[in-house]
Amino acid sequence: MKISLSWIKEFVDLSKISTEEIVSQLTMSGLEVEDVVDQSSLYNNFIVGFVKETEKHPNADKLTVCKVFDGKDDLQVICGAANVKAGQKIVFAPIGTQIPNGNFVIKKAKIRGVESNGMICAEDELLLSDDHSGIMVLDDNFEAGKPITETLNLNDVILEIAITPNRPDALSHIGVARDLAALFDRDLILPEIKADETSEDVNRLASVVIEDEVNCPRYIAKVVKDVQIKESPKWLKDRLEKIGLRPRNNIVDITNLVLHECGQPLHAFDLDKLNDNKIVVKSTKTESTFTTLDSKERKLPLNTLMICDGSREVAIAGVMGGENSEITETTKNILIESAFFHPSSIRKTSKTLGLSTDASYRFERGTDPNITKYAAERCAQLVSELADGKIANGIIDVYPSVITPREIQLRFSRTTKILGYEVAPQKIKNILSRLGLAIKVLDEDKLLVSVPTFRPDIEREIDLIEEIARINGYDNIPTVSKINITLEKKTDETDIDEKIRQTATALGFFEMINNPLQSENEAKLTGKPIKIANPLSADMECLRTSLITGALITISKNIRQGVRDLKLFEIGNSFKRISDEEIRNFSDFTERQNLLLIISGKEEIKGWNTQEKDSDFYLLKGLIDSFLSKISLDNVLIDSYYSTVNEIYAYHLTKSFKETELGRGGKLNDEVLKQFDINQDVYCFEFDLSALKAVRSNPNTYIDPLKYPKIIRDFAFILDKSVKYLDVKEFIKKKSSQLLKAVSVFDVFESDSLGADRKSLAFTLEYYDESRTLTEDEVEKDFNNLIALVTKEFNAQLRGK
Amino acid sequence: MLDKNITEIKESFYTDIKSVSSIKDVEELRIKYFSRNGLVSQLFEDLKDVVKEEKPILGKKLNLLRNEVSAYFEEVKERISSSNSNKENKIDLTLPGKEFIVGSKHILTQTLDEIKSIFKGLGFSVANGPELESDYYNFESLNFPADHPARDMQDTFFVSKEFLLRTHTTPVQIRLMEKQAPPVRAIMPGRVYRNEAVSARSYCMFHQVDGIYVDTDVTFAELKGTLVSFAKQFYGSDLKYRFRPSFFPFTEPSAEMDITCYLCHGKGCKICKNSGWLEILGCGMVDPNVFKFVNYDSEKYTGYAFGMGIERIALLKYGITDIRIFFDNDLRFLKQF
Repeated sequence: MKISLSWIKEFVDLSKISTEEIVSQLTMSGLEVEDVVDQSSLYNNFIVGFVKETEKHPNADKLTVCKVFDGKDDLQVICGAANVKAGQKIVFAPIGTQIPNGNFVIKKAKIRGVESNGMICAEDELLLSDDHSGIMVLDDNFEAGKPITETLNLNDVILEIAITPNRPDALSHIGVARDLAALFDRDLILPEIKADETSEDVNRLASVVIEDEVNCPRYIAKVVKDVQIKESPKWLKDRLEKIGLRPRNNIVDITNLVLHECGQPLHAFDLDKLNDNKIVVKSTKTESTFTTLDSKERKLPLNTLMICDGSREVAIAGVMGGENSEITETTKNILIESAFFHPSSIRKTSKTLGLSTDASYRFERGTDPNITKYAAERCAQLVSELADGKIANGIIDVYPSVITPREIQLRFSRTTKILGYEVAPQKIKNILSRLGLAIKVLDEDKLLVSVPTFRPDIEREIDLIEEIARINGYDNIPTVSKINITLEKKTDETDIDEKIRQTATALGFFEMINNPLQSENEAKLTGKPIKIANPLSADMECLRTSLITGALITISKNIRQGVRDLKLFEIGNSFKRISDEEIRNFSDFTERQNLLLIISGKEEIKGWNTQEKDSDFYLLKGLIDSFLSKISLDNVLIDSYYSTVNEIYAYHLTKSFKETELGRGGKLNDEVLKQFDINQDVYCFEFDLSALKAVRSNPNTYIDPLKYPKIIRDFAFILDKSVKYLDVKEFIKKKSSQLLKAVSVFDVFESDSLGADRKSLAFTLEYYDESRTLTEDEVEKDFNNLIALVTKEFNAQLRGK
Repeated sequence: MLDKNITEIKESFYTDIKSVSSIKDVEELRIKYFSRNGLVSQLFEDLKDVVKEEKPILGKKLNLLRNEVSAYFEEVKERISSSNSNKENKIDLTLPGKEFIVGSKHILTQTLDEIKSIFKGLGFSVANGPELESDYYNFESLNFPADHPARDMQDTFFVSKEFLLRTHTTPVQIRLMEKQAPPVRAIMPGRVYRNEAVSARSYCMFHQVDGIYVDTDVTFAELKGTLVSFAKQFYGSDLKYRFRPSFFPFTEPSAEMDITCYLCHGKGCKICKNSGWLEILGCGMVDPNVFKFVNYDSEKYTGYAFGMGIERIALLKYGITDIRIFFDNDLRFLKQF
C-alpha cells in the first residue's frame, strides 16, 4: 500500500522528525516499509521542456528529431515516441539526469548518426505509472525550464508499506497516522466536517432495506443533488496519482480519496438510475450474471451479497458497482453508499469471482462499522465543495444491531509474564490511549480497555500485550543470556536417517532431493496416485507413489548433460491412495518414508591401472548388503528372487523381515526406461524406511574375535547351468558338520569344454571352532563327505580329480 | 691457515652431500672434492708450504679427513647407485593414484544438520510429522479461521476439501503437544509445499525448521535470547540483529528476526534490497488459541515458537541465485558439497 507522507502530516504533526526516523519506527512497529520514494531527490534534475520543432529522423522511421527549449537553450533531442509534436510541453531529462526506472544516466549520444542531448520522458520512465504508450504531455501553461518537482508537485515522500492481514485499520492514511501518533506520542488530528445541507429530507429522496442483516450489518446512504460531473481539481488528482491511482471524475475521485483517507470503501450510484430510488441489500437466490462497471459480465454464484434497487441488481456488495447505475457525465443526483459488510461474505465473493478491488480488499479484512457515518458525511462534504452538489438533509442509516466497542481486561503482571520485562503502567496507559483505546483503571494490576471497532484484531488480553510490545519497541525487550535446560532425555526422530545418509555417502552415493509432484503418467507407474485438486501444471498434478520415477527424471536430465555414471540416493516420502473415494481421513491414503538407492552407467571407468566396468545387478546387490550390514540388519532378512519381467523391473529381489517386505529392487525394465528417455541400464533398490526402522536392531553385544586358526578348503564342481548357487550353498551348509562356518563362491566359469549346459562353480569353505584348534582329520572327513553328497545331489562332477 | 681450511672443507663436504640424490650429483661431488684439482687434493698441495714443525700434525689431520670423507662418499655413492638400479627406473611416481568417489549429502541436508546440531545443543529434541496434512493441523488448530485472509499468505495445494500438502512445518507443533504435556522443547524440520509458480526465486516445495518451547515462565525475552544465540552460532558472533513486529495466526505477539546482511555488512546491496538487513526467521509467543486446541492451560504455561526456511539460508550462504538448482540434482552440482 502506498502512503503519501505529506497527506499523513495532515493527521499527525511530524515536524522535526526525519523521514528516516519515520520509516524506521514504522518498520519496527509492524508496518513494514518496503520502499521509500523521495520524489524531491528522485526528480531533482527533471525540468519542463518545450518542443519547438520536430522533423523525421533521416535514418530511422520511428524516431523524431526535436528541438527542445529548456528555458535557456534550444537542444537537439531524439525521441522515439509516436505522440511527440511541436508545441508540446514535456518532461525533459537533461544530460546527466538519472532516470528512476532502470537507474541509468542520460548521456550525450548519437542515435543512428544524429546527436541527442537529453531525453523526453514517458510516465513509466519516471515511475509515475506503468504507462509507456507515449511521452508525458504537460499543461500548456507550464513554463519551460521550471523543475517538475515544483510544477508537478513531485516533492512528497511516498512509502510502500506491507500491511499484515491482522491490521485492516492501517489500510488508510488516518490508520497509519494513528500508529505514528502513538509512536511519537503526538495527537491524532481528524478532518472536521462542516457542510450545509438543503431542507429536503433524504428519506423522501431514497430508501434503504437490508434483507440480509448477517452479511450487511449496517448501510448508510447520503444523497447529493445537482452535482456537476467534471475533472477533479489538480490537488485531488495529484494526491491520487501519488499513491498510484488514476483520476477519473470528481465523484469517483472523491470516493477514492475518502477510502484512502479513512479506510471506508464508498460507492456512488446515479440516483436517477435506481428504480424506485430504492436500495435493497440481499443475497442472490439463484445463479445469475451481472455486468460490473468495467463492462465485464460476471457469473454470480448462489448467496452473493448484492445491492439492488427496486427491481434489479445494481452492485456486487463490497466488490464492484454495476454498469447500469454508474456515474456518467450526465449524472445529476447521486446516492453515496457507506456500508459495513461481513468480511467472510465479501471474501467468498471476491474469491469466487476472482475479483479483488481496493474495496473488497478492505472489507474482507474487516472495516470499521462505526466509521461509515463519518465517511459518508466526509464524502458528501467534498462533493458539495468540488462538484457543486447540494446535500439533502439527514442521513439514511440502517443499523439493526449496533456493534459496540469490545471490553478487555489487561493485567500488568501478565504483560510482564509474557514479555519478560516490566513496562511501566503509566507507559502502558499512554500507549493504549494514543492508539485510540479507552482505558479505565480497575485496580493496581488491572485495566479495563475498551477497544474501538476499527481494531477488530484486538480481541483478547494477549492482543493488547502485543500492542504494548510493538509500540514500546521490541528492541526494549531484553535478550536473556541464560536459559534453563531440562535434564531429561532428548529424542531425535531423524537420527536413523542420519545414519542412513552417512552409510550411503560412504558407499559413494550422492544425495538428491526430487520434486514429489509429478505427472499422472509418472506417478501411476508405481502405485495409485493422489491427485492435486489445484495443480500448478499437468506435469505436477500427482504426488509420487515411489521415489523411482523422480530419480529417473534426474538420471535422464544428467545423461542429457553428459553425466552418465551415477550413484544416487534419496530419502523422501511417497503417497498412495487406498480407495477411490475423496480423501477424508488419514486412513484413506498412505504416506511412507522411502529410501532409494539407484545406480547407472559405469562402476569403474577405464584408467591407466583400472579396467572399465559397467554397473550391474551384483554391484547393486553388494551395495545393498553392505548398506544393511552397517545399519544392523544384514543377517535377519530373507531375500527372494524374481527373474521374470514385471511392470517396473526386468528382474528383481525383495528383502523381508518375517512376513514384512522391507524393500525391493533390481534392473529396471526397458519399457520404463524408454518412458524417461534413458538408453542405458539402471539398477535401483527402494526401501520402505518406515518398515525398516521398525525392525532395525541395534547391536548391544559384540563377538570376540576368533582366537584359534581357521582351516580353509576349496572345491569346484561341474554341474548343470540350471543349478543355482544358493541351492548348492544351502545344501552344503545343511549337510556339513557344525565346524563349517562359512561357504562362499570364488569362481563361476562356463565353457564349451565343460559341455553346453554345464558350468563350473568353485567354493571356499571355512572351518573353525571358537573354543579349540581343529585337527586336519576332522575337517578332511567332513570335506570328503560333502564332495560325495554334492556330486550325488546335483549330478555334479568334482573338478581336478 | 691450512688447519682452518681443513675444517671448512669438511663442513662444506657434509653440507654438499646432503643434497646428493642422483648419480649425476655423485659425480659432481667427486669432481669437486676428489679429482686431481679437487678441494681435498688441493689441501695436500697446500701441505707442502706448511712450516716443518707443523707438517706431521697437519699431515695426520689431513689423512684422517681424507679417509673419513671418502668413506662416507663411497657409502652414499653405493646407496644412490643401488637405489637407482633397483627402483627409480621402474616406478613412475608421478602417475595418478586410484580415484575413490566419496558421496555426499545434499547441501540442504548439510545446512539442516548444522541447524539441528545448534538447537540440540540448546536442549531441543527433533520431531517429524506428515507432509500430507489435514486442514485441522495445517490451519484450524493453528488459529487460521476459515475464510480468513491469513490463509492467503500460504498458497495451498489441496488433495481434497479437508486434506492438503502442508504449507509449513508448524502442524508438527500441534502433533507434539497433543502427545505430551509441557515442558515441550523441540524443533521440527521437514518439507513443505506452496502453490506458487516455479521461478528462480520460488519453488513449489521447500524445507523448513519449526521450533517450539512451552513451559511455565517462558518469555519473549527468552525467545530473543535463544534465537540470538542460534543466529550467532550459525552466522557468526559479531552479527547485529533486530526483531520486528509481524503477524502469524499461531503466535501473539509475533516477530520477524533480521540480521545484518553478511554480504554488504549492513551497507545495503542487491541481496538485502538495499536495507542492510536480511530476514532469517519468523517467531513469536504461542497464541493462547493454539493452547486451547491442545488443552494446555494458557494461564499456567507460556511458550514461544519460530520457523525458518532452509533453502533461503543455503541460497544466501553459497550465493546461489536460482533456487531450482537444489532440485535439478545435477551431479556436477551435488558433488561440490
